[in-house]
This record gives sequence, C-alpha cells and structure tokens, in this order.
Amino acid sequence: MRIFLFAAETALKSVWHEKWINLLTVLSISIGLLIISAFVTITQNLDSVLKRWSKDFGLVVYLKDGLTSGEESTLRDYFMHDTDVISVKYVSREQAFEELRQTMGEQSSVLEGFESNPLPPSFELTLKSELLTPSNVERKASEIQHLNGVDEVQYGEKWLSSLSTLANIMKVVAVFLGGAIYIAIAFITYSTIKIFFYRRKDEIETLKLLGATRTFIRLPFILEGLFIGVLAGVVSSLGLFGTYSLLLNKISAFLPSISIVMVPLPLRAYIPAPLAGALMSFLGSFVAVGTIRY
Amino acid sequence: MIQFAGVSKSYDTDVVLKDITFTIDKGEFAYITGPSGVGKTTLLKLVYCAERPDEGAIVVAGWDLKKIKQGTIPYLRRNVGIVFQDFRLLPNKTVFDNVALALRIHDMHPQEIKEHVGEVLKEVRLKHKENILPQHLSGGEQQRVVIARAMVSKPTVFLADEPTGNLDVETSRTIMNLFRQINTRGTTVLIATHSEALYHGTGRRVLFLRDAQIEKEIVG
Repeated sequence: MRIFLFAAETALKSVWHEKWINLLTVLSISIGLLIISAFVTITQNLDSVLKRWSKDFGLVVYLKDGLTSGEESTLRDYFMHDTDVISVKYVSREQAFEELRQTMGEQSSVLEGFESNPLPPSFELTLKSELLTPSNVERKASEIQHLNGVDEVQYGEKWLSSLSTLANIMKVVAVFLGGAIYIAIAFITYSTIKIFFYRRKDEIETLKLLGATRTFIRLPFILEGLFIGVLAGVVSSLGLFGTYSLLLNKISAFLPSISIVMVPLPLRAYIPAPLAGALMSFLGSFVAVGTIRY
Repeated sequence: MIQFAGVSKSYDTDVVLKDITFTIDKGEFAYITGPSGVGKTTLLKLVYCAERPDEGAIVVAGWDLKKIKQGTIPYLRRNVGIVFQDFRLLPNKTVFDNVALALRIHDMHPQEIKEHVGEVLKEVRLKHKENILPQHLSGGEQQRVVIARAMVSKPTVFLADEPTGNLDVETSRTIMNLFRQINTRGTTVLIATHSEALYHGTGRRVLFLRDAQIEKEIVG
C-alpha cells in the first residue's frame, strides 16, 4: 500500500513536472475520445429518432371498391387479433377526402372538380416497434396484401430503409473509428511514457542498484499513464457537454423541434470516455515500461 | 561474506578478470587495489550482480549468484550498500529524499524513514542540509550523502568504488572515518581504490589486482 501511495505521489509530481508534454498528450487523447463520443451521441440520437418515429409508423391498407360493411368488419377483426398490430384505425372514404382537403389548404379548390370521391377507404395499422425493420415490415405488408378485399398496402419503406441503413452504417463506423482511435490513444500514451522512461533512465538504473523491485520502478509510470487517460477522459466529457449544450441551445433558437431529435444527454453518457481513456492509457503505459532486467 | 571462486570475466576479447579466488569474512574491512582499468569496478559489480561472471562461483551474504533469479536480485542488493564512483544521486530530489529512497524501496513506514534518515544525516554531519538539492553541495558533501544512502538501510555488505577519488586529504579522512564507523557495527566493508594513501598503515587486508588476476595480498 505504501509503495502504491509513493508511486501515486511520484506519478502526480511527474504529471506536473512534465506538464507541457502531458498537456499535449491529454489534449490529443481527449480529441480522440470526443470524436468517439460525438459518433456515439449521433448514433444514439438517430436511434431515438427511429424509436420516436416508429411509434407513429404504420401501414396503410387501402381497400378494394365495393366491399360490404361485413367484409370490412372481417378485415378489422383480423387486424384486431393480429399480435403484430398494436392499433387499428378505420378511415372511411369521406374521412380520407376531408383529411386531403385539410392538408391541401388553399389549394383544396382543385378537389371541387371531382364529381365523386375518388379515395378508397383504408385501415391505418400501427405495428409493434420491435417489428420495425425493413424486412419485417415488408413481410407484414406482403402478408396483408394477400388478404381478400385488400387493394394496396403502403408504408414509408424508403424512409424506413434509409434511416435504418444510416443507423447501421453509423454503428459500424463508430465501432471501426472507435477501435482505431482507442488503439491510437494507447499508442499516444505509449510514446509519452516511453519518452519519460528514457528521460529517467539514470534514475531507474540507480533505483535498480538500490534494490528496487520491478513493481516499485514501473508503478509510477503506469499510474502516470492512467492519470493522463483519466484527465483526457474528463476533458473530453466536458468538451462533449459544452459542445452538445451549445449546439442544442443555438439550434433550438431557430429550430425548436430539434429538441425532439436532440435529447439532453444523461449523466451516464459522460462516464464511458474517462473509463475508456483510462483503460487504453493504462494499457499503453503498461506496454511502454516493458520488462525490466537487472 | 563475499566468496569468489575461479571467477573470470571478459568483455568481448578483453579479459578483465581471470580465475579470481578470494574470501572476505563477515565483519572484515578490506581493500582491493591496482592501477586504473585493471578491473576493480568490474569486481565490485560482480558482487552486486550488475555483471555476471563468465566462469566461476560467487557467494554474497549467503546468496549464490550463479543461481540467483532476476526477480531476487533486488533483495540481494538491499543487503549491499554501495558507494558509487559517480555518486548516482538523483538531481531532482533533496538530500533527505535521496537518502530516504533506499528506505522507501524497503517499504518502510514514513515516520520510521524520517527518524532513520535524520539519524544517518546527523552521523555524516549533513542534517542541516537535508532540504538542499545535491548539485548545490560540494564533492565531499555529495560523497557523504551517498554514504548516508548506502548505510541507512543497515546493509550486511558495504562496497565503495574509489570513494575519495576527487576529494582533498581532510575530506578523504572524514570519509574513511565513516567507513570505519560502519565496519565497527559488524558490516563487511570492501573498498576499491587506486590510492595507496588510503590503505597504507591501516593494518587491513589489501588485494592487489594486476593483469586481470590477484597478484598478491598484503596487510596495509
């Protein structure tokens, strides 16, 4: 325990003594961590958009002309008992026409040219959120398409597919980019600690001759790497908090609805960076001190 | 306490020590002498395992250095106090911290370290300079700090390599008195020197090294 305390004291003194090179190391690592955090944050926001959007996501099932009310009821019962469907809304021809009129607003006068209502009745179905992948929705739509009385099934397949693909790409990029940056962090700490190790070569030699164990010699360097990593993680978390808050404030000033997409980050979002920074820097410094031979 | 049996050491084709055999008993005070470059420093390095012999056996304070493992060497060295020719003081640490380092390595309690270091610095008459950095001390004072560091952990073997090399006669006498003090506590002392003045008239055993071998043994 005393050796650990002495090593920690030595490491902290060295962090201060070598403040400029350590500052550069901390900034380099924190920029790396900030890039990872930014990617993770964007991916999380995209996921949250997908989840929010999927709450309102539905299939529109257009019915064939001339269905009897009995046939429509049969279809309604079918959808009501379908475990994949969480809500069923019937839209009559009249309701559909009225909605269209409202949507068109001032241009609705063009609708007056129609002698009869051209819109078909439909069912709007909301699916379970766990089903909302392009392949699942496509499968469901195809299943419904084959039901008697169904004319056409529409859903936002392009949107769903694009958003889902984007989210997946972001996740893959985050994993690869994150992996590369984590390795870079380990290398940065490795180089810094290696420099310190060579600079204090004479001191290390003296310690060896005085009977210091490998742990006694190596521990201050490893702890110094750890402190650098934690410090860089804290700086990057503060950077993330500052940047995100600033962006949220600035954007919401002219785009209030951005708060739907950009939710305030929870406290736990700021914890992984210091931990990851510490872990990678620890690994870097551990490798840097290498094996000590007497 | 120190046993050499048929020890040889070469650097590439340069034979530094050849078939060296001698024993230094527990509590003995001995000198090893010879011209510069004859292998005195190498012989001391063999004692604290900074060099390994090509041939022969070395036993120091009960440790068979032929069989000693890398991880055990620090524990051997804790039993050997060394006064290096180039001092090896840490320039960024005060006199107190330089001496205390030897005890921190022993994982001693800070309060005990304070007491022990204080006592030793009093013995070498440097207590009043404990907060000074080594580079602000004279050569003789720096040498006394090195001696304090070597003796503070109460080693069983004490080695000194040219301990009075660049010092004036008065300071050399002070340093040698400190070695005698250390020896009276039962510590085995081995001093490497090229200076005849250091061992002359001491009545101690002197080993003469010449042409990589022990040429003769005399009483100083």
